[in-house]
Amino acid sequence: MLLQQLINGLTLGAVYTLIALSFSLVMGILGILNIAIAELFMLAGFIGITALMAGLPFPLALAAGIAGATVASVVIKFVAYDPVRSSPVITPLLTTLGCSIIIQNVVVNYWGSNPLQLPFEFLGERLRYGPISIGSMQILVMATSVASVAVLGFMIQRTRIGRGLRAAAENRDVARLLGVSAERLTIVAFALSGVLAGIAGVLIGMHYAAITPYVGVETGLKAIAVMVVGGVTRIWGALLAGPLIGIIEVMTIAHGGSQIRDLVVYGLMILILLIRPQGLLGGRSSDTGQRV
Amino acid sequence: MSTYFAGLLADIGILTLGALSVYIILSTGQLSLGNAGFMGIGAYSASWLTVEAGVPMTLAVVIAAAVSGVVGVIVGFPALRLKGIYLAMATLGFGEMVRSFFLNFGPTGGAAGYHGMQIISVGYIWAWTGGLVVLVMVLERSRLWLGLRAVHDDETAAELIGLDAVALKVGAFGFGAAMAGISGALFAHHHLYIEPSNFGFQHSIELVLAVILGGSTIAPGSIFGAGLLILLPEYLRFLADWRLAAFGTLLIVILIVRRQGILDRQLYRLIGFGRAS
Amino acid sequence: MTQSILKGIAVGALALAAVAAAAPSAMAQDGKQIRIGAIVPSSGPFAEWGRTNTVTLKMLEDKVNAAGGVNGAKLEIVIYDDATKPAQAANSLRKLAGDDNVLAVAGPLTSSACEVTFPVANQMEIVAMSQASSKPGVAANNRPWAFRNTVDEAILAEESVPYLVDTFDVKDVAVIYDAKDAVSTAIATKIMPGILKEHGVEVLNDGDFLSFNTGELDVSAQVTKIISLDPDAVVIGADYSEAITVIREMRRQGFVKPVIGGTPLISSAILHAAPDIPIIAPATFYASMDEPRAKEFVAELQPLLKETSGLPESIEPSMYDANIYENVSMFIEAVEKAGVTGNPDDLAADRTKIRDYITNLKGFEGLGGPISFNKDGDAEKAFFIVRGEGEKWTTVVHGCSSQGGDC
Repeated sequence: MLLQQLINGLTLGAVYTLIALSFSLVMGILGILNIAIAELFMLAGFIGITALMAGLPFPLALAAGIAGATVASVVIKFVAYDPVRSSPVITPLLTTLGCSIIIQNVVVNYWGSNPLQLPFEFLGERLRYGPISIGSMQILVMATSVASVAVLGFMIQRTRIGRGLRAAAENRDVARLLGVSAERLTIVAFALSGVLAGIAGVLIGMHYAAITPYVGVETGLKAIAVMVVGGVTRIWGALLAGPLIGIIEVMTIAHGGSQIRDLVVYGLMILILLIRPQGLLGGRSSDTGQRV
Repeated sequence: MSTYFAGLLADIGILTLGALSVYIILSTGQLSLGNAGFMGIGAYSASWLTVEAGVPMTLAVVIAAAVSGVVGVIVGFPALRLKGIYLAMATLGFGEMVRSFFLNFGPTGGAAGYHGMQIISVGYIWAWTGGLVVLVMVLERSRLWLGLRAVHDDETAAELIGLDAVALKVGAFGFGAAMAGISGALFAHHHLYIEPSNFGFQHSIELVLAVILGGSTIAPGSIFGAGLLILLPEYLRFLADWRLAAFGTLLIVILIVRRQGILDRQLYRLIGFGRAS
Repeated sequence: MTQSILKGIAVGALALAAVAAAAPSAMAQDGKQIRIGAIVPSSGPFAEWGRTNTVTLKMLEDKVNAAGGVNGAKLEIVIYDDATKPAQAANSLRKLAGDDNVLAVAGPLTSSACEVTFPVANQMEIVAMSQASSKPGVAANNRPWAFRNTVDEAILAEESVPYLVDTFDVKDVAVIYDAKDAVSTAIATKIMPGILKEHGVEVLNDGDFLSFNTGELDVSAQVTKIISLDPDAVVIGADYSEAITVIREMRRQGFVKPVIGGTPLISSAILHAAPDIPIIAPATFYASMDEPRAKEFVAELQPLLKETSGLPESIEPSMYDANIYENVSMFIEAVEKAGVTGNPDDLAADRTKIRDYITNLKGFEGLGGPISFNKDGDAEKAFFIVRGEGEKWTTVVHGCSSQGGDC
């Protein structure tokens, strides 16, 4: 059972990692918490499931979900971030909250509040290895997460736009001195954040084979904890922290603590914030955010 | 006054106090996304006191405020280490932990909720709300508040001129938490039933929203913000299924058009109130 | 200084007064109307239920008026959306009772909303009758004005548990529930374990009931734990949309064992979660049930639901549509038979007449059989233990919640 639980934890962790990265791209670079990301992956999940039910193959459904979340994310940038970019961090937090209320309402009105379920056939096969079994979807979820993080890591480390993003994450003024266009970087950050939320959403939709308009908050808050634990400005941090939180959560449940696991997860987040505010893999300890 | 409007008014009064609790903490530059947790502590302790211990209402509110305030001070110390969005996330975690605690805490009903409280009147609620708004407004004109603003603007400079930034920030947290506790105590005795989900992240964010919408630079702004948050959904009823989307849209528009919130010092003077400076 | 503070308060007061003046005012009174109120959750997590409730009530309103109204007066049903928020439900009741001067109120739907709204109903002395709340004791705490057209989960479980135990030869069970939801918690951690033990069934994770939160995606760890206990059946305390997550995870991990739960499981959506996992649950109505009155109701309502925008293709009349239809029908019968004048001056007397009529109601012809109310304000009506399998419900046990069993 222990091995089986580890697999459960890793799958859950992979989902957390993707959403946490989506949060941290905007957070690390622009210093704002985009609450609407929780609804972006929900939206992508609905689009993905709808596409699959319409008979589209997985890659196209994934593309549709990503496109939906990315477009929505960029729209959020123009509607809810640009007009308030010079205000303190609370204002963008609340404007993006406004966006998430709107997205949720649109999804309820279009798809309904009942869970949207993939037909039974989509539940996928299961591979058995002695006492443990692993679903083909679970492998897909984990593989896609690792691949996405790798591609993202490559982009950030090796490409010009990635260097710009990194510079901006370290210090916005330096980035400006380097002549990186702030406007372009902002769009890229929001778009990439949307892509990741999109991937996460479609994978969630396929893996769990059911989604409701109200999955955002619960999973989104956990993803924020993952982002904090991993270090807001560190891509690889989320790859470590996602599975870590996933496994901690699963192990708490396995050992009779399903009622207290929220206490454990958020307690850990607060502990990390207090003793290592830069996160497990974070760099400078002085980087503790600007004033409100 | 119709009962319906009285009901809304009671909700506004309760939300105003919740918003004020965020406002006080915010005035030292600290953003708390966990104030619903303090509200929960106040709500549960006051309810337990009136129902199980037979403590009179007003005394129960005072004790609830004290309990929340003490927890606020305890939270305020570690909070000193954090700033901005990091503090916001830590307090968010705190709020979720409080909710999770009450969900598992048998003596106050856990998930089944808690009831048995006696109802209080709208007048009683507004006596508290009015009194506390006035108290904060009086404080705003004191040297103490100047100290808070100084810590908000530049902590290092404030310390250089001999202000005790630690005491001010922790004190603000305690005071804010006590205010949230009062709000929670009144909430419990207005609705006569409480359950842990009343005090989760969404409610914390609603409190922040009320402050920012109403005006985060001036205490009466909280009344405006609270009024807006309670009344808007009522006025938007004609939109039926699109009610919440319209609410979200209006929220964004207001935040963009009036970043400092609806009520600020300028508008306050413009309507002919406040001192000309 | 004091003066300016006073002025500050004046600003606030002025603003509130302005708002008060602009508050939506009561509709004009017309003596020829019989006005009933309803509180449904048309937005939020149960939007679908609220929206189909709304269609149901409109259908009833049209039907009654086409047949000449109530005592010759036109029936008007005033419907408010509470957004699944208890505070909005309570204020909706205040508005219906105080401003709109309705005679009685159907709703609110959720138990949390009822907990907050029923005390207001008592205070304002108007009947409020929930179409869905089944958390134990909610109406009983708020007598005499609170009613629920639902049966207490404990009574229902007395019938569903023996069926499960006998049919599937169940020796032991494991429990999983939605910890954020009060009804689910009560069903899974108190009601079911007690009755199961009475029937000699061992609860394998007694003292460590597995929980998850509303809206949580992943319950794989909980399900793996259940599988490791290897129970003969699984008790799920959750509403249907959360239960779908659990059932799908059970299926994904290859654990095909019967599932038992309370009325919140009943929904056509749950049938598609895993057709080979049998679901045992109590219901007072389901869309495909074989009762003439219910069939008529479905035939009438289904087309209307289909043509309503904002509802999914697969929508079917829910148990709560049937209940709210019965609620308002009972109010109408009370108006017709208890000498309710509908005159604005007699409002308080009319409301009391409706309350007394409902309290003493015997054998009202509901969609599934006769309805009356017990001293707790909960319905005594026919119910069915249904088994969901192969994407359809089948009635396996007929039950009756009244003492005498005369349903």
